Amino acid sequence: MNPRRFIPGLLNNLIWILLLGMVILFEALTPRFLSVRNITDIFVHGAVLGILVIGQTFTLITGNFDLSMESTLAICALAGAWVILPAGPPTWGGNLMLNPLIGIVVALALGLAIGWLNGTLITRLKMNNFIVTLAMLIILRGIVLGISEGNTMVRLPPQFTALGGASIGPIPICVIVMVIAFLIAYVVLQHRPFGRKLFAVGGNKDAALAAGLNPEQRIRDVYMISGVLAALAGWMFAGRQGVITEGMGQNMILEVFAAAIIGGVSIFGGRGSVIGAFGGVLLLSALDSGLSLTRVNTFWIDAARGMVILLAMLIDAQKVRYAEVSPAKKPAPSGSAAVPTED
Amino acid sequence: MTANSKNSNLVEMKGIVKTFPGVLALDHVDFSLHAGELHGLVGKNGAGKTTLMNVLTGIYQPDQGEIWVDGEHIHPMTAQRARQAGITCVHQRSNLTPPLSVAENIFIGGWPTSRSGFVDWRGLYEEAEKKLQRLGLEIDVRRRVEGLSVAEKQVIEIAAALFANARIIILDEATAPLPKDEVNMLFGFVRRQRDEGVTFIYISHYIEEVFQLCGVVSVLRDGEVVTTRPVASLDQAELIHLITGVTVERFKRERGRQGARPVLEIRGLTRPGKFDNINLAVKEGEIVGLTGLEGCGKGELLKGLFGLEPLGEGTVLVEGKPYWPSNPAEALRRRVGYLPRDRLLLGIIGMRPTAENISLPILRRLVNRFGLLRLGEERRVVTRFIELLGIVTPSMWQPVEFLSGGNQQKVVFAKLAGTEPKVLLLDEPTQGVDVAAKIEIMRIVDQMSHQGVGVLFVSEEIQELLDVCDRIVVMFAGKLDGEFVPGDPTVNAERILLAVEGSLAHNESEKIHTGIAQ
Repeated sequence: MNPRRFIPGLLNNLIWILLLGMVILFEALTPRFLSVRNITDIFVHGAVLGILVIGQTFTLITGNFDLSMESTLAICALAGAWVILPAGPPTWGGNLMLNPLIGIVVALALGLAIGWLNGTLITRLKMNNFIVTLAMLIILRGIVLGISEGNTMVRLPPQFTALGGASIGPIPICVIVMVIAFLIAYVVLQHRPFGRKLFAVGGNKDAALAAGLNPEQRIRDVYMISGVLAALAGWMFAGRQGVITEGMGQNMILEVFAAAIIGGVSIFGGRGSVIGAFGGVLLLSALDSGLSLTRVNTFWIDAARGMVILLAMLIDAQKVRYAEVSPAKKPAPSGSAAVPTED
Repeated sequence: MTANSKNSNLVEMKGIVKTFPGVLALDHVDFSLHAGELHGLVGKNGAGKTTLMNVLTGIYQPDQGEIWVDGEHIHPMTAQRARQAGITCVHQRSNLTPPLSVAENIFIGGWPTSRSGFVDWRGLYEEAEKKLQRLGLEIDVRRRVEGLSVAEKQVIEIAAALFANARIIILDEATAPLPKDEVNMLFGFVRRQRDEGVTFIYISHYIEEVFQLCGVVSVLRDGEVVTTRPVASLDQAELIHLITGVTVERFKRERGRQGARPVLEIRGLTRPGKFDNINLAVKEGEIVGLTGLEGCGKGELLKGLFGLEPLGEGTVLVEGKPYWPSNPAEALRRRVGYLPRDRLLLGIIGMRPTAENISLPILRRLVNRFGLLRLGEERRVVTRFIELLGIVTPSMWQPVEFLSGGNQQKVVFAKLAGTEPKVLLLDEPTQGVDVAAKIEIMRIVDQMSHQGVGVLFVSEEIQELLDVCDRIVVMFAGKLDGEFVPGDPTVNAERILLAVEGSLAHNESEKIHTGIAQ
């Protein structure tokens, strides 16, 4: 086996190797780890995260990112519930009493609008993507606090909570939706011209423009995708918890980035796959599950997570090193006069 | 004048071998350097020039071989020891800090301070000025480095290296030529420092620059030194032969095959401050050369015609119909293609595979009725272009950034060819590629013109234009100023050069219009 091919290939599929290693480790430590119930739990646990990670993968591939996703998640869930719930305790709705399906539409439309706003501020007004989405992260969370005044909204109608809480047979709907979402995202990124264009924009925006693409429109597109998926995640989250709290989704954005990046999506744009990102989601989710099953003190879970992320990045850095050393140094077959080295 | 007159061997590299996993980059290379010489180092991309210099500057450790400096065996050569020995490399990608002033850059890390511990600005500027004057440089030391030209930056870098006691300076010019008007400034400075006893190694793809500047030249090919000879004993064809290892015939276009129908017509096009009242027509199958000094407006004209910059006012017709693109997508729809001057910036998406780069502008043609890419069809299209243009790559999935400069440029051509252009705007298409690839690129352009494409070929290399163009127009300070037909007995490179520098129009106020050679 040629090590120069084998090692980078191994590093490219790093996420699955890590995941496998972790599964083996936890299965050795606790027999319940690979039970049907726990595997289902891992997927359910990863469903909301997974939907967010898909959105983030799209923005990352174009060389952008969306810090505001976790607040978008909260405000969309809140808005959806607010229009269908009565006012006053204990529901704390807006007393509009609309059909729950309209609540869902409101949530998704709001996500789309937030994404459009992010994208427009960044592309048309040339604002920095970090600042725009950071500000949006704070503003939206603030609005959630302002509207809810710290109250927890309860008694969500079953139509609204089905996505996050119900199952079809033994399989939770949220898992089905997540898996389908990943499949669609895979097809869009790998088999649609749109996906190719996103990679091109992230790889070199100016060259993409010169190739006849419209990079700014593509960037607005990915922010809208990110917004809608954050809303979908919010709707799912509300169903899983059965209530809406002002802090829902808080700090999730770090996990979202971690999953995408462990899965091989480049923070500099132009590289990555949604399949790898899916692996990243499963890894984080399985790690949480394994740590709690093995009764690791909950206060130490964050530290363990952080270390796994660091470890993954450490190995990833080796990948970059390999990419740099390998093909560039060949006595470059230049032009037609490809004279063999030993002449 | 030859540098061989001094006989002390300043640097001796003996039997240097360097391998990278699976690749023999340097194969028992002997390289020696005499004090006070201007030593050219040439070779194709990947011949080992940069590796050899990295060994000399202690960045790479050789697997075998010895390095002697001033008769002293230095082992191991480390970056620090190289610096102590006074060996410095000045890369084309500048190491200066752009937002800081010239003076701050010169003293970077060791700014003079006043007693209170703050930077002594006046002292800094005065000291910098004095030091630069001693080198014969008149540069405003308060200017920010980001506002300097490429050559000025290099001069400052060389100066900074000299202040740090460098005696051997490697000028790595591997990627692009300097604008002609800056070359003299840089070369003048380098020669003066040589006369003061500094030794230079000059790495370049530009054979002409080597002939202008260097006394001795070493040719590297496939990791071996093929020859080291005084430049005066060589001519260009011989040197090209040594570099490529094959006899490369200069490309000469067979002229007079263009049709009568203009595919691109420019009438009275004016963009204030950039170009002024441009009138130009390119017929189908015709290659029109456009040359002029850096900043004369030719680059802006091309970018404007491709929708990357404003066009100003006037009329443009493509295939007889009004044309005014507001973005490249519109230009491509009208089958106008553009090859950018800076291929890394605008031409390729380095981290993405070769195949994806080539198919990017034609994705729309590669989808099935479900809107999904027909990957098999894409592979076929890409394979055809890779074969047609002779792109050398281990696989079509190889990221373009790992291809050599010439092959990257061919990828850009493949991209363009896929869009089936009627008009091609080429901005320095042979820039930063080695001699063999240069000829191939000229052949590709020639072939595209045979298919009826009208080509506007911008270049600052006049010989190249004489070889490949049907007509050459010269732009000076935003205006078209003189037209030349290669093959006409009165037309030669010197005459065109005069027009390029603006002296022809002003001294003779004549324009040469001759019938197109039938």
